[in-house]
Amino acid sequence: MEAGKNQSLFKGKPIKILLAKPGIDGHDRGILVLAKAFRDAGMEVIYVGLLPTPEEVVDTAVNEDVDAIALSLLNGAHMTVFKKVADLMKSRGVNDIAVIGGGTIPEADKPKLEKMGISGNYGPGTPISTIIEHITSRAAEMRKLKAMEE
Amino acid sequence: MIPLRLDELIQGIIKGDRRSVSRAISIVENEQVSFNAKKIVKEIYQYTGRAHIVGITGPPGIGKSTMIGNLSAMLSDIGRKVSVVAIDASSPFTGGSLLGNRIRMQESLTRHGIFMRSLANRGLKGGLSRSIWDTVKILDASGSDIIIVETVGAGQADLDVVNLAETVLMVLGPGLGDEIQAIKAGIMEIGSLFVINKMDLPGAFIAQKDIEETLAMSPRGEWKPPVVGVNSLTREGYEDLIKEIDRHGKFVKKSSDLSFRKFRTELEITIDEELRSRFHQEIMGFLTDSEKIRSLMEKRTDPYSAAESLINSIA
Repeated sequence: MEAGKNQSLFKGKPIKILLAKPGIDGHDRGILVLAKAFRDAGMEVIYVGLLPTPEEVVDTAVNEDVDAIALSLLNGAHMTVFKKVADLMKSRGVNDIAVIGGGTIPEADKPKLEKMGISGNYGPGTPISTIIEHITSRAAEMRKLKAMEE
Repeated sequence: MIPLRLDELIQGIIKGDRRSVSRAISIVENEQVSFNAKKIVKEIYQYTGRAHIVGITGPPGIGKSTMIGNLSAMLSDIGRKVSVVAIDASSPFTGGSLLGNRIRMQESLTRHGIFMRSLANRGLKGGLSRSIWDTVKILDASGSDIIIVETVGAGQADLDVVNLAETVLMVLGPGLGDEIQAIKAGIMEIGSLFVINKMDLPGAFIAQKDIEETLAMSPRGEWKPPVVGVNSLTREGYEDLIKEIDRHGKFVKKSSDLSFRKFRTELEITIDEELRSRFHQEIMGFLTDSEKIRSLMEKRTDPYSAAESLINSIA
């Protein structure tokens, strides 16, 4: 990513992102690496730890008013658990927080996840800069939705 | 749906709607001194002043977040509406931050449905973030009985919480140093309560005794800060701690000195910011003439003379 890109939008208002591994999965190396990388990219990062429920993830995202939730699963349960998060967001009318996926996600599942509104869906070996760029552009979309009317 | 009109948002705060509260905090955090941020605070101010504001401070790793997890759960159990704000440090290099306090208290928050917000200090020294004053007001107006504010892991000089909180818990533990350390200025002077965490570890009783003796040597008027030992694994000592917090809360509501000092400090900060934002354009105006600045630099003009020369040439 180009240094300083999008500075005007986020200057003084860093992107706030929630990292979560909902479901029964303890493989947290990837998400910890990302947490540090996002922090170093100037984001405010919240990690809720292992084994939060989808309800906990959505509650936390709303209370913290994040711009994006980044979900990671390497246990193959993404079609169930990511969907649960997306459904909860929809039923609560939360449309201004982006949901971004990652982990071991087969190609065939990606379009289905996209359809639920979960973008990215990056697998192992993805350059971190690609992920950060994607988050930055999704966060910019969300900031537009959050703008207050007078 | 989240209200997108300011007046609806303000109504939402007063009714205690989580999403309105949460969004309002983002506005005061991201758009300081803006029209919207000021309007929120102006409109809700009449609903504030009811909550007991408790600051929790102490060195990094001493167990502040874990303590808040226990305290907030136990206070909820006795029917109090608790809100929590925890501040963590931003990187001075990238501006990024890892807000890690939540992870220690998540279980209590979920079980009791407690509102908790993490804030980055965004470069402010002193253990707080600039938006904390407004954040506390929003939580107060939303109907909290008690608002617990966790500072950044504090060194000896990060004492700003004393200007925000009514009750300051200074959390200490065994192994932080002997009685000489306990005499040191700063941290020993701001605690309304001293809590010795990790009472299960060796040395904790000695630490408690050291603090008690130090406090006895320097009486500070009417309120004599108690020293409470707790074990955060078993919740031993927490009932005493809550009793002391309540006792201090009652004591402090009677003291008009503290309210005056708090109000004055906040005014000082607000005036500073208001003036800064008003004069920001003008200050930048002095810095537009790059050629002049370069020539001052090449002539090795000292910064004071250079600033005077720039201001005089324009004004």
